[in-house]
Amino acid sequence: MKELASVMKIITLEKKDIWLSIVFGFLAGIAAVGLFGSSGYLISRAALVPPLYALTVLIAFLKLFGFARALGRYAERYYSHRATFTMLSNIRLAFYKKIEPHAPRIFQKYRSGDLLSRIVGDVESLQNFFLRVYYPPVVMVVIFLATIVFTTIFSWAVALVLFVGLLLTGLIIPFLFALRQRKLENEIREARGHLSTDVTEFLYGFRDLKIYQQLEDKEEQLESSAATYIHEQERQGKQMVYSQSVNTLATLIVSWVVTGLGAYLVGSGDLNGLFLAMLVMISLTVFENAAPMAVLPRHLDDSRRASKRLFHLEEAVEESEETEPLSGNAPYGYRFDHVSFRYEEASRPSLDDVSIELAPGTKTAVVGPSGSGKSTLMQLLLKVYPQTVGDVTLDGKPLAKVDEEDLWSQANVVLQENHFFYGTIRDNLSLAKDDVSDEEMTEALAKAELAAFSLDDEVFERGENLSGGEKQRLAMARALLRNERLWLLDEPTSSIDALTEQSLYRHLFEQAKDDTLVLISHRLTGLEQMDQIIVMEQGKVVETGTYDELMAQQGYFYQMKQIEKSVFG
Amino acid sequence: MKHLSQMAFAQRRATLLLTLASVLIGAAIIGQSYYFVAIVERMFLDQESFQEVVPLLFGLLAVLAGRALFTWLHGRTGVSMAAYAKSEFRKRIIHKFSKNPVQASLEGQSGRKVSVLMDSVDEVDGYFSQYIPQMISTAVVPLMILVVVFTHHISSGIIMLITAPFIPFFMAIVGVMTKKKSEEQMEKMSAFSGRFLDTLQGLTTLKLFGRSKKQRDTIEESSLGFRDATMDVLKVAFTSSLMLEFISMLSIGIIALEIAIRLVVYESIPFFSAFFILVLAPEFYLTLKEFGSAFHAGRGSSGAAKQLVEELEREDQSMEWGQKAIEGSQPPALELDGVTFAYKKGQTFQLQELHAVMPANADVAIVGRSGSGKSTLLNLIAGLMKPDEGTVRINGLPLNEYAEREWFDRVSYISQHPYVFAGTIEDNIAIGGRGAHTREEVERAAEKAGIAELVESLEYGYDTPVGEAGRGLSGGEKQRLAIARAFLKRPSVILFDEPTTGLDLKTEQILQSSIEELSKTSTVITVAHRLHTIRNADQILFLEDGKLVGQGTHEELLQTTEAYRRMVHVQQGGDSA
Repeated sequence: MKELASVMKIITLEKKDIWLSIVFGFLAGIAAVGLFGSSGYLISRAALVPPLYALTVLIAFLKLFGFARALGRYAERYYSHRATFTMLSNIRLAFYKKIEPHAPRIFQKYRSGDLLSRIVGDVESLQNFFLRVYYPPVVMVVIFLATIVFTTIFSWAVALVLFVGLLLTGLIIPFLFALRQRKLENEIREARGHLSTDVTEFLYGFRDLKIYQQLEDKEEQLESSAATYIHEQERQGKQMVYSQSVNTLATLIVSWVVTGLGAYLVGSGDLNGLFLAMLVMISLTVFENAAPMAVLPRHLDDSRRASKRLFHLEEAVEESEETEPLSGNAPYGYRFDHVSFRYEEASRPSLDDVSIELAPGTKTAVVGPSGSGKSTLMQLLLKVYPQTVGDVTLDGKPLAKVDEEDLWSQANVVLQENHFFYGTIRDNLSLAKDDVSDEEMTEALAKAELAAFSLDDEVFERGENLSGGEKQRLAMARALLRNERLWLLDEPTSSIDALTEQSLYRHLFEQAKDDTLVLISHRLTGLEQMDQIIVMEQGKVVETGTYDELMAQQGYFYQMKQIEKSVFG
Repeated sequence: MKHLSQMAFAQRRATLLLTLASVLIGAAIIGQSYYFVAIVERMFLDQESFQEVVPLLFGLLAVLAGRALFTWLHGRTGVSMAAYAKSEFRKRIIHKFSKNPVQASLEGQSGRKVSVLMDSVDEVDGYFSQYIPQMISTAVVPLMILVVVFTHHISSGIIMLITAPFIPFFMAIVGVMTKKKSEEQMEKMSAFSGRFLDTLQGLTTLKLFGRSKKQRDTIEESSLGFRDATMDVLKVAFTSSLMLEFISMLSIGIIALEIAIRLVVYESIPFFSAFFILVLAPEFYLTLKEFGSAFHAGRGSSGAAKQLVEELEREDQSMEWGQKAIEGSQPPALELDGVTFAYKKGQTFQLQELHAVMPANADVAIVGRSGSGKSTLLNLIAGLMKPDEGTVRINGLPLNEYAEREWFDRVSYISQHPYVFAGTIEDNIAIGGRGAHTREEVERAAEKAGIAELVESLEYGYDTPVGEAGRGLSGGEKQRLAIARAFLKRPSVILFDEPTTGLDLKTEQILQSSIEELSKTSTVITVAHRLHTIRNADQILFLEDGKLVGQGTHEELLQTTEAYRRMVHVQQGGDSA
């Protein structure tokens, strides 16, 4: 039950609706018992030919029970479903809150297809937790107890049989099936996960699959994982039908025992025959309330799994002790002192004993072959990852003591891959800061050489309708709009042609004149104006210096430059 | 719904089995009522001894067991039916998606498509596992009960006959009323799923811009909107079942009253018949009511089914392919004859009438500023999209007269963002080839693509798993992976989309030489940013805003085209310091 603690907590937020669901559920259930019990009594009574007025009263009762039952059922359904869907909303939100602090780190671990099925599937499946697991047992037990107490008036023995029936259908049989259910559920989840991954690959990797003629194979693979999933669903469905049938059989047998016992008691004179029909009818009706117990284990298991996956995805991050606010509104400097860093699953360090100094207000370029650790350096600058070895200071404070959100709020960041949301260009640009005017946005677009775009142009999910260069320019426009004093740019123009790049950089350096700027660059052109160039290879800093110094030194940078020249020349 | 019911009744054996089970369930219900009533009558009115009713008790037990058994059979058949139908639907949708040209897969929200394939198909379940079985038993069981009631007491039968039609009638009204709503709700749900994924995928961006907290409101808002939409639909469903309850209750009440009066006042009906009818009447209405709730399950499915059918019937401008084979294994000659293309009607960007001839084994560079239509042109040549007008010709014949396999067997396309599939590195290289490849071949291809050293430095080498969206591989590594795929394939046509994008010079050099080697045996069409590539091209297509403004070699273009000269100047100028 530990897994469900988070869900339970969310559920109890809807106290009022829970109580209303239970109360009306009880009302509906007990009214049904009353309805059928009294109809059994009515007919027996009628057989003995009583005065007409007695019958009239009984029929009135009948009507009353009928209405109570119908209205009770309606209210129960209404409140329980409302509670459920409010809870789902709260669960989505809670999940988002849970995952949000772990972004962006967590995305290294989880794949998008997984996330989709996780959120949509798991959240949806939790809707059954309240509806089928949480409150129905409460309602059932109360109805049974009330009925059993009523029955004792006529026969202790019959009451006892009903009680045994309650244990059987409400507890023992569901429990037995719960054990069998667990394994099945595991398999169905797994099959769904496989299918979801295959579907995602099929749709997102479509072009490559098509060109490589793998579409048919992938289609087959997809079909086979679809078949597996459906097969598992079918097995589960049949298992459920089976468990429901067994439960039905049990309730019918209990009613049979009540009938037999009642008949025996009437025969032996311990029970007035007038009540026999009533007791039989009561027993047949009261077990209707046990029916939901047959599906309970499945939903309980389902919910437990969903909840576990939703809320236990990461052990809590260690909170940094106390944070010191950055001084604000001034260009910051960075200092790396013998910093090394290794990704959890990587075999070798991505940064190896890096010591660098980025003075406030200076422009630094980081260059090096791909995989040399440039982007890792960026991750540390952004405090996406804490450094494991060595010291990093920002603004004279240990980076460990800087709140990363504080840092991000004061940085203009362009990553290698920037996300764009479904919506318009305006929606995506206005993320940059609060209250950006249309004029500012249009101006930023112009600076980023995207003047052809209108703010109302549509952007598809993940910016899929934009070319690589357009995405980078849009990301750049967003950074220009943000206009903070710290610029952290990771290959922001790699997909942009030289002409566009040149004019973009002109705007950039003009705006960032007095700011601290770190530019990871794949090209070696246009670096003359940088205060410092850091050359990296295999996680190490191999050279630092200005453009002229490095050229004069005729080292690594010089050689790279020669290659570039030969390529371009 | 039509679609669904056709699918259901096509499953002959299952429907027959359902009917049989329904008849048996009906018989069990009647038998059960009979025995209960008989036992009560004998004990209560006839004051018989317990021993005399024991045979009846055993009869009752048998009937009860039968009821459970047949219900089980009935439910099970429904589940099987649903499984079959879902599997059919999913197959068809997958097949349909596999026919989609690239353009369509770019236009739709992929998240939405995932949801169609996963959730909408699952939602069809209710129709087959609940609605159809219940419909069949509703057609059978009440009829059987009615016959029995008529044989005992005609006026009760008449009351049943008159009141029963109210239930389906009322349901039909509600059904028509909720239809639109349930469809709306499906759309909302589907949109929501795309939006939530979009938000989650963009969480990094949101965090960096300090917007992630704000996004909670958006999620809450759309979530609550979703709730309200659902509640609207449910409320109608609940109200309708409330009304059904009232109708059936009223009917039972009338029957009870009628029977009681006959029993007490006129004494014209025996107790047995009276009790028997009173027990059967609720069963009669219950079956009808159950159909009501199953009906809603069916309705929910019909929303999903509509979405599926829509997806299946959506007209795509897919490439049509012929049967012809491409002669010989030499690199083919390509020709663009008046090709035009626009992504969407009314959108400003448009590829304008384009003519070009690319001889066999040529090196063609497509050049232009970003957004000038280079990638679009490449997709058209690749046969991934269909030109609005004009033809792409291969060896003089329109591309779409060739068999699809013939063409793609000869093509390698190295896109800006090669997709990395979940699997090992070896799998990911082998996917480029044609059929089975030995580890040696894969290793050789990797060697040539300059990725071998990197792969071998990994703990698991070629067996290293790489993620769904290629996490763990840098852009340069992905590109080299794509090149390795090409080396494995040895294509006679190579399509490169900005092959050196975002890569470092060393890697770039490896790539340049790789491409050079590959190009010896193939026609190469490159979307190029670099002068190096451009200079070596036999022919350059210079695009501006979707228009072909210059065509020729580097030297020729320098002479003839001002815009080209300017662009080259900038590229060299940036290098001159």
